[in-house]
Amino acid sequence: MQYASAIFTNASIYIIATLGLAIFTGYTGLFSLGHAAFMAIGAYTAAILTYFLNWPLIPALTAGVIMAILSSFVIGYPTLRVKLHSDYFAIATLGFGEAVKVLLENLQLTQGARGLPGITKLANPVNTAFFVILTIWLCHNFLKSNYGRKIIAIGQDPTAAEMIGIKLLPNQLLSLAISAGFSGLSGGLLAHYITFIQPSIFNMDLSSLITAGVVCGGMGSLTGPLVAVALFIVVPELFRGLALWRLVMYGVLLVVIINFRPKGLFGQEELNLKNLPKLFVLIGMTVGLTIGTSVYNYYKFDMNRILALLLAALAAVAVTAAISYLGRILAKLLAPVTSRIGPWWNKMFSRFVHSLDGILKPKHKEVAAVVREVRAADKPIIRVGGLTKKFGGVIAVDQLDFVVYPGQLVGLIGPNGSGKTTVFNLISGVYPIDSGSIEFEDNIISGKSPTSIVLGGISRTFQNIRLFGTMTVWDNVKTALHTSSHYSLTEAFVQWPWTVWDTEKRMEDEALELLKVVGLEDLKDRVASTLPYGLQRKLEIARALALQPRLLLLDEPAAGMNPQESLDLVNLIKFVHKKFNLTIILIEHHMDVVMNLCEWITVLNYGGKIAEGTPEQIQCNPLVMEAYLGDKVDYATLS
Amino acid sequence: MIIQTIITGLSIGSIYALMAVGYSLVFSVLNFSNFAHGAVITLGAYIAWAAMVRVFQMPFIPALLISIIGAGLIAFLVERMAYSTLRHRRAPSLYLMISAMGVAIALQNILYATIGANLYALPPVFATDSLMIGDAVVSKLDLFALGFSILAIAALTLILNYTKIGTAIRAASHDAEMVSVLGVNLDLLVAVLFFLAGGLGGIAGVFMGVKYMVYPSMGWITNKAYIGAVIGGLGSLPGAIVGGIMLGLLEALVSVSTIGGVALSTYRDVFSFGILVVLLIFRPTGLFGRHVEEKL
Repeated sequence: MQYASAIFTNASIYIIATLGLAIFTGYTGLFSLGHAAFMAIGAYTAAILTYFLNWPLIPALTAGVIMAILSSFVIGYPTLRVKLHSDYFAIATLGFGEAVKVLLENLQLTQGARGLPGITKLANPVNTAFFVILTIWLCHNFLKSNYGRKIIAIGQDPTAAEMIGIKLLPNQLLSLAISAGFSGLSGGLLAHYITFIQPSIFNMDLSSLITAGVVCGGMGSLTGPLVAVALFIVVPELFRGLALWRLVMYGVLLVVIINFRPKGLFGQEELNLKNLPKLFVLIGMTVGLTIGTSVYNYYKFDMNRILALLLAALAAVAVTAAISYLGRILAKLLAPVTSRIGPWWNKMFSRFVHSLDGILKPKHKEVAAVVREVRAADKPIIRVGGLTKKFGGVIAVDQLDFVVYPGQLVGLIGPNGSGKTTVFNLISGVYPIDSGSIEFEDNIISGKSPTSIVLGGISRTFQNIRLFGTMTVWDNVKTALHTSSHYSLTEAFVQWPWTVWDTEKRMEDEALELLKVVGLEDLKDRVASTLPYGLQRKLEIARALALQPRLLLLDEPAAGMNPQESLDLVNLIKFVHKKFNLTIILIEHHMDVVMNLCEWITVLNYGGKIAEGTPEQIQCNPLVMEAYLGDKVDYATLS
Repeated sequence: MIIQTIITGLSIGSIYALMAVGYSLVFSVLNFSNFAHGAVITLGAYIAWAAMVRVFQMPFIPALLISIIGAGLIAFLVERMAYSTLRHRRAPSLYLMISAMGVAIALQNILYATIGANLYALPPVFATDSLMIGDAVVSKLDLFALGFSILAIAALTLILNYTKIGTAIRAASHDAEMVSVLGVNLDLLVAVLFFLAGGLGGIAGVFMGVKYMVYPSMGWITNKAYIGAVIGGLGSLPGAIVGGIMLGLLEALVSVSTIGGVALSTYRDVFSFGILVVLLIFRPTGLFGRHVEEKL
């Protein structure tokens, strides 16, 4: 019993650190090799406070968490500030881990490499279990909140996230800080459970354990890493004497999983009754590898080593297959039950939420409707002057001038490579401009960051669709509504009903409203990447509208659509244009779409404007025909 | 004193350079950091140990050659087993890096589990005594390591510049896709690439083994070589060489300096990683690095 509770407590402590890392690596896609350092900081801070100053456990742990969070900024700010190859971040965290270790080995306060012996045993299975449940609850709440959605969005597509106004650095730092905080908590508990800490405990192996847990359990999932780490700790304990092979197993598992199942066990989803067989596959693999290594250890002296190795491999594969198969059979047997439990649970839960709603009666905050100023139609909403952009020797945009008036629906056309998308990228701040100016509603926006341009009222869609692929349709739009939520991080962590539920409900309604506009309300729970192409485009438009833009840039919305779909799209754009009183600039190759929609057309070729006018004027403009068809027009007869 | 420090720095720096070149070669074509390189280097050192001490009692030069070939083959096998699937699937470079970490963890701990954590010395095959240059005491080993590293890098330069496959590798570092479209067998190219990186790593491993000891976690030192590669600019070969040597020199200088009576040598590694952070702030692309910008 003693032994079982020791394993349980150990596993629980590592689960806390792993869940923290899952929030960071799992959702932002940045790979950290130094989370053991945050555990060390938490452990030493808490241990020193209880050891020398006799603090009680909870304040000491809190101090450890705070220290870990503060130190996360030291490593996070310089490395995340520049948008770099994520490899640099990995090596910087590795170095950070080493630096912390060296520091602990040389400080007077931490008693150097000898470590701190005889820490009071303040952690026990009960309070550790409490902290695990607290961690799961907090992480779950965080991910469900507006803050969590922002981080998930960044992990899926940083550029798309920026283009809906999510700043990368603060959100990445936030997620690093949260993960460091949980690592610190885990370290503090560890110190007060094993009662003796020294710097060498917090080495690369510990970092690799929790990293392996996150990767094998599945990035973008909480239950996956939890299950994985629990198995990593528990299963090898059952087969003693394998301590040395344990790390080999983590390494091999990392390679195998990332090669053959990069999603990990529960990538982008949570453990539920439907994917139970997967759990068995992981249990099977862990047990299989453990048995395999113990078989090898057992026979290696009695027979030929190679034979022993073969036998071990055979045993590993057989056990894995057997347990996985067992899982599948079990799932099949339970299928009638599980198919009923799911809906029943959902019904019960929503009933519970409703009854709470009734009891708590959240005060409904009136949100002031955004009153759009009516602008004089003769004042341009956007004025582009002398815009130039060079890529090396290629002049992509050359001295371009154009203006768009409020409420106009303008087409931007031109042959391939004429610089249309570059113009959008310059307006939305993705590329810095070389010279010229862009003025939006009397403000110079050239030189501003993409996020501030988006939040200033210009939103866009992409030529190659950039949705948050693994989110649902509904969540894609909700994420873009992030500016309309005002609850604090603390409120998000505890899901404070009076603010969070209320705001979330309002955001859900708003998102649904927008989905109705584009006709996707019935598909709201579908995962975005599973939508057909045409619908993904519509979803992107809905997401762009969620930012309440005054100017909408549509980059080839009809690309790849069949005639019926593009007709639908034309109607949608017309409707949106009227309903939201929007100004729209549209890049499009489908001439029927452009001629049908746009009241004014600007034609680009070689980065410069060659013509502008009403559709009728453009259709019979000889320069445009030349640009498109390559006709040699005799200029002499024209003039 | 200062000459002695500089020679020591150059010697360790040239070993860093050998390892850093391995990182940069792979990065230049495949765009990911091969963190399994350290484990390959460690295995290279163990091969030399097996050849010279454990199994055969070979002389140094044949053992070094065996170690070069062995480490090269191991690097090639690692690529086949851990990266080629991902490469063919065009997986994000994060996946390749995770796979590399897995290989590093597994290989290092296989050594712990089979051979054990003991430290083994490679025999003093060549003179361990020192030379007097002026009034500085310079170990012959340092000079030898420096000389051999220069030779190896010269050989690599020749291969890259004057052979067909070398030309293909240089072309692939600009655009691997294009090179494969032109009819170059990319798998073969990558195999040669890893063999070269591994072979250079083997040399570095043997010299590390002679200078210090052979033990399972000696691959840790490659993390500093990686910093050297980043200082020079990841993906650039001259960068890796200059960066590695600069780091070696700086470390040698830090090791003999004191601030206010406190010897800095214990903080040497902190110092190296500090350089990395400072570099990431002020010149993230390194000295010779090309700007890696993701396309929209």
